[in-house]
Amino acid sequence: MTATDDSVHDRLADARIALTPAQVAVAITLLAALGFVLLFAQAPMLHDSMHNFRHAAGIVCH
Amino acid sequence: MLTRHLRRGLQAGAAGGLAFGLFVALLGNPLLRYVETVESFEGGHSHAHAHGGSAVGPETVGSIASVAGGVVFGVLLGTVAFGALYYLLEPAIPGANGTRSYLLGASGFLTVSGAPWLLFPPQPPGVEAVLATDVRVRWYLGMALAGALACGLAGLAYTRLRARRGRLPAVFGAALPFCVLPILAALGPAAPISSSVPAALAYVFRMVTVVGQVGLWFVLASTHAWLLRRDRIGEPESTDADSTDRTTFADTYRVLDR
Repeated sequence: MTATDDSVHDRLADARIALTPAQVAVAITLLAALGFVLLFAQAPMLHDSMHNFRHAAGIVCH
Repeated sequence: MLTRHLRRGLQAGAAGGLAFGLFVALLGNPLLRYVETVESFEGGHSHAHAHGGSAVGPETVGSIASVAGGVVFGVLLGTVAFGALYYLLEPAIPGANGTRSYLLGASGFLTVSGAPWLLFPPQPPGVEAVLATDVRVRWYLGMALAGALACGLAGLAYTRLRARRGRLPAVFGAALPFCVLPILAALGPAAPISSSVPAALAYVFRMVTVVGQVGLWFVLASTHAWLLRRDRIGEPESTDADSTDRTTFADTYRVLDR
């Protein structure tokens, strides 16, 4: 399984074959949006409802 | 291969998220509720910081949303760190198969929590930061980036020195980039706070938070290491079975031939 790929470069090349740019873009956008909502969103409703989580996770940017 | 990596990352994330959700439900929420009662008892200074006068809604809604947030947080970290990043970085991470997951987990903790906490340690509600939010977010992200860079440099230094000089210089070289982090934190803006929570309670809260994050990354890394081991054991066994089948077949053939 790892015998054929032995560098980060090969892995990147493999990923580029396996995934289309659109798939990568969608995945990154989704993950970034999720992360932003969880950690940095300042909209009062979202922000307050996850207030405890943010404190419990030690994220202090709020 | 990519899909198998992503699936393992997602599975590790599910385990980590579940564990962290439980942590928020059983420890985080009750402790925060307690801190808030102490705070209103101590200072008479209402918990309206940064939240303006907006209606917080029933306490339970916040608790449930926080548990859900914990689960999603774990799944997110698992997918990004152990799905995508492990796939890309596996050839570059030093160590044996089992150790790699733990090394990546430790790096993840340092990046997401450890390095930023050097500058802004976790605080209970009631401890108010004087710095503006956007300044803090910028420094938080900066420290996270510095943590990730330090981990990358440490890995690079270890692999290079290990090949040329041996193990001890390699460990020493890998430790060096981490020494930059406290210096960077000291250069950052001072984070003045005004607290209405007793120092002992704030300390307990901080330690519980640290244990929670370390635990989350530990569960993520352990699950991932276990999944890797399981998949690796599964693979060679099937090929072994094939080859033994073939040899026994060949043997019987030889016997018949004779």
